[in-house]
Amino acid sequence: MLRMSNLSKVYRTHMIETHALRGFEIQVNAGEFVTVTGPSGSGKTSFLNIAGLLEEFTDGEYILDGVNVKGLDDNARSRLRNEKLGFIFQGFNLIPDLNLFDNVDVPLRYRGFNARERKERIEDALAKVGLASRMKHYPAELSGGQQQRVAIARALAGSPKLLLADEPTGNLDTQMARGVMDLLEQINAAGTTILMVTHDPELAVRTQRNVHIIDGQVSDLVRRAPSLADSPVPAAVPA
Amino acid sequence: MFGYYFKLGVRSLRRNPVLTTLMVLTLAIGVAASVSTLTILHMMSGDPIPQKSTRLFAPVLDNRPAENYDPGHERPDDQLTYIDVVNLLKSGQGVRRTGMYGIAAVIEPPDKQIEPFWTEGMAPTRDFFAMFDVPFVYGGPWSEADDARGADVVVLSREMAEKLFGDANPIGRQVRLLDAPFTVIGVIGAWSPQPRYYQLQSGRKFGVNEDLFIPLASAIRHKSSHNGGMSCSARSDPGFEGILRSECTWLQFWFETASSADRADLQAWLDNYAADQRRLGRMKRNAPNELYDVPEWLVHMKVVGKDNKLSAWLAFGFLALCLVNTIGLLLAKFSVRASEVGIRRALGASRTDIFRQFLTESAVIGLAGGVLGLLLAFGALALLSLQSSAMAAVARMDLAMLAFTFALSVLAALVAGLLPTWRACQVTPALQLKSQ
Repeated sequence: MLRMSNLSKVYRTHMIETHALRGFEIQVNAGEFVTVTGPSGSGKTSFLNIAGLLEEFTDGEYILDGVNVKGLDDNARSRLRNEKLGFIFQGFNLIPDLNLFDNVDVPLRYRGFNARERKERIEDALAKVGLASRMKHYPAELSGGQQQRVAIARALAGSPKLLLADEPTGNLDTQMARGVMDLLEQINAAGTTILMVTHDPELAVRTQRNVHIIDGQVSDLVRRAPSLADSPVPAAVPA
Repeated sequence: MFGYYFKLGVRSLRRNPVLTTLMVLTLAIGVAASVSTLTILHMMSGDPIPQKSTRLFAPVLDNRPAENYDPGHERPDDQLTYIDVVNLLKSGQGVRRTGMYGIAAVIEPPDKQIEPFWTEGMAPTRDFFAMFDVPFVYGGPWSEADDARGADVVVLSREMAEKLFGDANPIGRQVRLLDAPFTVIGVIGAWSPQPRYYQLQSGRKFGVNEDLFIPLASAIRHKSSHNGGMSCSARSDPGFEGILRSECTWLQFWFETASSADRADLQAWLDNYAADQRRLGRMKRNAPNELYDVPEWLVHMKVVGKDNKLSAWLAFGFLALCLVNTIGLLLAKFSVRASEVGIRRALGASRTDIFRQFLTESAVIGLAGGVLGLLLAFGALALLSLQSSAMAAVARMDLAMLAFTFALSVLAALVAGLLPTWRACQVTPALQLKSQ
């Protein structure tokens, strides 16, 4: 599903050069639920941004679902992002003046689905997260947990192959966080690959694999037997 | 996707009402100022008879004495002598010809309840009506025989006919003017070419047209004085007869040709005519004999003054100022949307998509500005119309200007939106998403 080989990311200012990722190697197979942990400044966010095609990398190779993304122009990267990826953010990132229906509609518009198909997908996605009855509500009218569910519905509506989650429970209380995590596990069980950055060790142990990043490199890999997802065993990942 | 972007644009108008109102108002004021001045310029410089404007020709002959002639530096008078008008009428040149002069006469209404009153009219020959496509609601023009014998017949404007006879068909009724009974033989309908190209020499370039028309020969027979300017380059004999025989210029003349290609033949004939007159002791200057079609005539008679053009330039300068303000306001409006741009980019929008969306939003602001600008422009034109009847004649918005208002407003908003939109496209999605 995702493979990065000898990937590096360097941020340059006129004075300083910062190596966010160096010799970064990772492979995530279809159907896996992988958590990414690491201390602040270790490169987790850079990795997730590059994986989500939101940032370009400096060197190396990145294959996303069989597509080498290096050298792709903005239109091709955007299309790839729209078709293959779904995002869930810590801050939910819903558009405040769009109701739930229209928020979930956003990625589908860029996909070019017709009105009927969009409607079906939106209703289906909101039903999956238990918010079908609140389609006409605005984000501000929902709790944090509900907003994150909408974000999940929006990420799912386009049937992405890979779901990228950046601290999806970071802004939620324990009960809501547990609910969101349960939902992600169900999504994974249904076949969607999930890559989740988290600081929460409790969440990390619930997934099949935990990739620990320190100083821009994968430093440790903890494997567990498949639990919720009936997915193939992940391939070995160089540390 | 355009429909989606348009919907977002309309929704965006409500997002920040104060900023939106300021932008729409700024744009509307700029557009209204430009459109109202441009409307006047457009009406002033429009072709008043497009279907035949290149087939109608006004001749200008220089009949002044040869003494002190400075070729190229002196303009001949734009009117003709009675002698030349009579000769040109007899020439048979073109498919139609008309000679005319403005008259002012006291009308004595048949209804004695109505006091006699002064009115302005015109004394042309019969072809005037057909040449200038004058429509009739009752009756029609007088005959060639009426022209020949100077019959006392009159064609009234609709307003004058209603004033004198009410709603009844007045054909065959009589009205007294020039101390004689004139029989009404026609009533013209809506006819108000702007500019009044057919008689610009009167100095009245715009405004309402004449209320009555009598045959040229009839006006001459009744020795009706002319209502307009007269230029005399030599002493004339006393009395009306003296003026008719003089070199004083006070009449207007128009030819109509079958096609604009006949102009060269008409010019050749006019040159021959002037040469013949020179042999008879007139037109000693041997100055160029000029023919002007309608568009040339409007330029020659300076229908659109420099001040009108300057006003338009100033108005567009003001619009540019408004645009600069709108750019600033759009920058403020779009800059607070960086997080939305980040989200949309993450969800699959390319920079091109963002560019289209934000530019469409600018266009929606332009449309709103166009609607308000149109209302303001109508108000401005209504105020200008109060100045004079001439201004009222040109301070009217036609369909073309209406469409132009919207086009200008949308275009202005698109231009103003380019920089803010480009800036919006440069948003780094990763930064925005993390900072949420």
